[in-house]
Amino acid sequence: MIKYIGNRLAQILILLVIYVAVVFFLLHSMPGGIEAVLATNPNLTPAARESILKAFGLTQPLPVQFVLYLKNIFTFNLGISYSFYPTPVWTIIARRLPRTILLFTTATLIAFFVGFASGKSLAWKRGKTSEYVSTVVGVIAYTVFTPLLIFTLIWFFGSYLGIFPLNQFLNPDLWIRTNLNAQTIFLYLLLTISLIGLAMLASFAIAQKVSHRVKTRKIIFYISTAIAIALAVFWWAVSPVGIYGFDILWHMILPVMAVTIISYAGTMLVMRDSMLETIKEDFITTARAKGLPDKVVRDKHAARTAMLPVITNFVLSMGFVVSGGVITETLFSWPGMGMTLLDSVLAKDYPLASGALIFTGIFVLFAHLVIDIVYAFLDPRIRY
Amino acid sequence: MKPILEVKNLKMYYNTRSGYVKAADDVSFVLNEGEAMGLVGESGCGKTTTSMAIMRLLAENAEIISGHIYFKGKDLLKLSEEEMNKVRWAGISMIFQAAMNSLNPVYRVGDQIIEAIVTHEPNVTFEEARERVASLYKLVGLDPKRMDNYPHEYSGGMKQRAVIAMSLSCNPDIIIADEPTTALDVIVQDMILKEMSRIQKKLNMSMIYISHDIAVIAEVAEKIGIMYAGKLVELSDSVTIFKKPAHPYTVGLMSSFPSIKGEKKELVTIPGEPPNLLNAPDSCRFAPRCPFATKECWEKEPPYEEIEPNHFLACFHPQNLRKQVSEYARG
Amino acid sequence: MANTTEGMTASSEIFESPFKIKVKLMWRAFKENWRIFSESKIGMLGLWIVIIFAVAGFVVYPILASTIWKSTSLNAMVSYNPVTGYDFTIANNPAPPSLAHLLGTDPLGRDILAQLLYSTPREFALGIIAALITVFLGTLIGTVSAFYGGVVDTFFMRLADLVLLFPFIPFLIVISGMMQVNLLTLALIIGLLSGFGGITIILRSQAMIVKVKPFIESAKVSGASDPYIIVNHIIPNIMPLSFLYMMFNVTGAIFSEAVLSFFGLLNIRMSWGLMIYTADTAGYIVGTNIGTYWWLWLPPGMAITLICGAFYFIGRGLDEVVNPRLRRR
Repeated sequence: MIKYIGNRLAQILILLVIYVAVVFFLLHSMPGGIEAVLATNPNLTPAARESILKAFGLTQPLPVQFVLYLKNIFTFNLGISYSFYPTPVWTIIARRLPRTILLFTTATLIAFFVGFASGKSLAWKRGKTSEYVSTVVGVIAYTVFTPLLIFTLIWFFGSYLGIFPLNQFLNPDLWIRTNLNAQTIFLYLLLTISLIGLAMLASFAIAQKVSHRVKTRKIIFYISTAIAIALAVFWWAVSPVGIYGFDILWHMILPVMAVTIISYAGTMLVMRDSMLETIKEDFITTARAKGLPDKVVRDKHAARTAMLPVITNFVLSMGFVVSGGVITETLFSWPGMGMTLLDSVLAKDYPLASGALIFTGIFVLFAHLVIDIVYAFLDPRIRY
Repeated sequence: MKPILEVKNLKMYYNTRSGYVKAADDVSFVLNEGEAMGLVGESGCGKTTTSMAIMRLLAENAEIISGHIYFKGKDLLKLSEEEMNKVRWAGISMIFQAAMNSLNPVYRVGDQIIEAIVTHEPNVTFEEARERVASLYKLVGLDPKRMDNYPHEYSGGMKQRAVIAMSLSCNPDIIIADEPTTALDVIVQDMILKEMSRIQKKLNMSMIYISHDIAVIAEVAEKIGIMYAGKLVELSDSVTIFKKPAHPYTVGLMSSFPSIKGEKKELVTIPGEPPNLLNAPDSCRFAPRCPFATKECWEKEPPYEEIEPNHFLACFHPQNLRKQVSEYARG
Repeated sequence: MANTTEGMTASSEIFESPFKIKVKLMWRAFKENWRIFSESKIGMLGLWIVIIFAVAGFVVYPILASTIWKSTSLNAMVSYNPVTGYDFTIANNPAPPSLAHLLGTDPLGRDILAQLLYSTPREFALGIIAALITVFLGTLIGTVSAFYGGVVDTFFMRLADLVLLFPFIPFLIVISGMMQVNLLTLALIIGLLSGFGGITIILRSQAMIVKVKPFIESAKVSGASDPYIIVNHIIPNIMPLSFLYMMFNVTGAIFSEAVLSFFGLLNIRMSWGLMIYTADTAGYIVGTNIGTYWWLWLPPGMAITLICGAFYFIGRGLDEVVNPRLRRR
């Protein structure tokens, strides 16, 4: 197992270097590349331009520059943003990357579980009207133009029902009266959510160890999860900054919903197809012949095995979800990597654009690695 | 001898877009306690359909038109799904045609057997179930240490043995073995069949062997039923079937397998192929391939009757056919 | 050609030309595949949507532009142009749907329906050009890697892995932010980028199946050259699958174009994505405006969704033709 992960890690590191190379040479070989922009950018004083040229060795030959650039990436030295001069690119990315991670992880997990559950039960009652209807709905949700989906969401929830804030990362009226830093609160939120996630994982592992009965395991898992969530909610409710945390969460709901819908349909459709394939397998007949209840056959035998292609598909659809994320972040003014990327491209801020592109790539690669590891855990056949 | 399973006039059709496929048509037989019975026939003749009907594991488009399946006096076709789940495995268990694929690849083999045990006997603790699996492994000739391995770590023969151990796990009254050894090589085939027969005798269980190979069945079964095109055409004890087969199809089946021990004889092939069961006609279904078919055979369906004690037959020309067939084959 | 065949003597009626036989066989295969495809509800739905859009864009638009909309044109002599056409009879723009403008006008006083129809042929062209490039590249790379194996195979497969990992849209955003990208260059970029991606893996595995078939061996024995075998034996056999993936690629290309023009990154004058961009930058899709000025974003958004969905539906319908195991009994 360790060897397998190490192997994947090495592969991904090589891919990363190639990726950075492509981004680098692309940006430098294009008409209107970095130098040209540097020379014409009105935001920069001549002195600043000189110092940037010197600091990043932009006067040196291209291969040397590349080696320098690669070295700089591993020390998180990505240069200085033009549009936020003199903030270093890394500072901006470090502030914004966690927001994208939170948005994606939450949406992806929800989409996965909902898609998994609905695809599973759809395939189980094949041929009914509900199956046909939800397949069509699923395909439409899969091919919907992302801005249309988001406008509809904003119109329905924000404007028509008026229950969710329309855009922005937080409510300025609330935050103006405090000297709290939104970033700090946000990081605390992220910490809380990861702690809840860890608690869930731990209780899952403990339940596996303690009992062999599915029912007992479930009870242990649900109760400890509930306790973890209750504790977190209690802590935030008691603490004076609770209201600010709540404000951020409140603004998160619609973006999360959008990204969830974008990645949900794919999961659901693949799960359904995969289930239909799995049901035909001989071991499903065996499970039925063993006299297991219908639900156990469906959940423990069919769904568990049908899940594997869904996870593989997840890797393939990642690019799709990431692009959906860029649109979502932009339209909801959610200051994450996607919005940074678009803004920096529009402002011709190349250090920031390439930094954002590279870290989006790193994020995708990392997610890929995580999925690979999860897959290895779920499929005993590739462990050795 | 007490009957434990009685199949009476079972009719099971597949409802397809082009019409009914008569996969099992008017099948009747009795299985006694501790008895080993064989069902023989070409592929697609309804052997597997019959066994799946007994387990009530039918495809969505399968319809049981009529008939009864009495297991210990209860009609299985009238039970609710929950009641049927109690009969499955604890009453009647199965060894499937494709043992290679009948284990779920993502769970440990031992756990899959334990799952069956704890489902049917909720009072058994996990440790007790493990012990039982260990003893079952010894019984079928597997190393108990291997129960924590996954199916892909087993060889074909080991999987077959594990599947047998699984079928024994809830002490069933009947085991249906559907082509239990077809996918294995000849030496392992023989070993496993002997093993199964030994276990069956030792535990005094009833058993239904299903195979297309009458020679394999002859070694282990006391009673043999011959199926053709969804119908049971001949049923008797193995000695009768071999000494004085009455149905031309039975004779054809026996002549188409070589015997190592017996006298040298020419292999006879049955001409033609099994009929399409879609909207099968009400005549003798073997008539198109039968060298002895008369006008009667093409018009009426031969009744399934007891022509002598414990010898059932559906043919208008019951006679000692073996000689005639050999002569026919010589030209 | 047709004339010479007809004018031939009686003997040629008995011995048909190989060309004729080939056409007949292809026609028969087409009829059989069409029968399977037409049984797929979802595939037919997609096909109908595409046909409706095509008719609207290629036939209805030119007629309307030179007749009804002509009266609102700046210059009454030429037909209506939705890029420049401003309706002076309307005081406040954007105007809601009315008889004169069935889907209303945009912030610059241009007819929304005219813009929609005007863009349709361009979207088709973009999608199909990009998909053709992708499929051409993918088929070529897939077959060559399967046929030769070894270093070539490893190189292209690792390359495909890499392309698959690339965040595609962010990448396009950066490219189109740097250079002046118009519709044709965009089609080229999308086609080239995805031509090295996942499609090569799928087509390669299909070509592997074809490669080991006996007729390839017999062609080799009879002395056919490698390119001949690839072009005449392998490619025709993976063509159906290529065609299937072409549909999915049309969806992808149109979607990417819409996203990029929605962000205002493309150097084009009119497209569905750009229509939403125009409305967005003019401040009509912000806050509560979103419900009030629905005709600015709903029609183009729906058009993009429908066209993307339609090609995807056709792809799923074709899937049943290509993969027999998906068919229902």
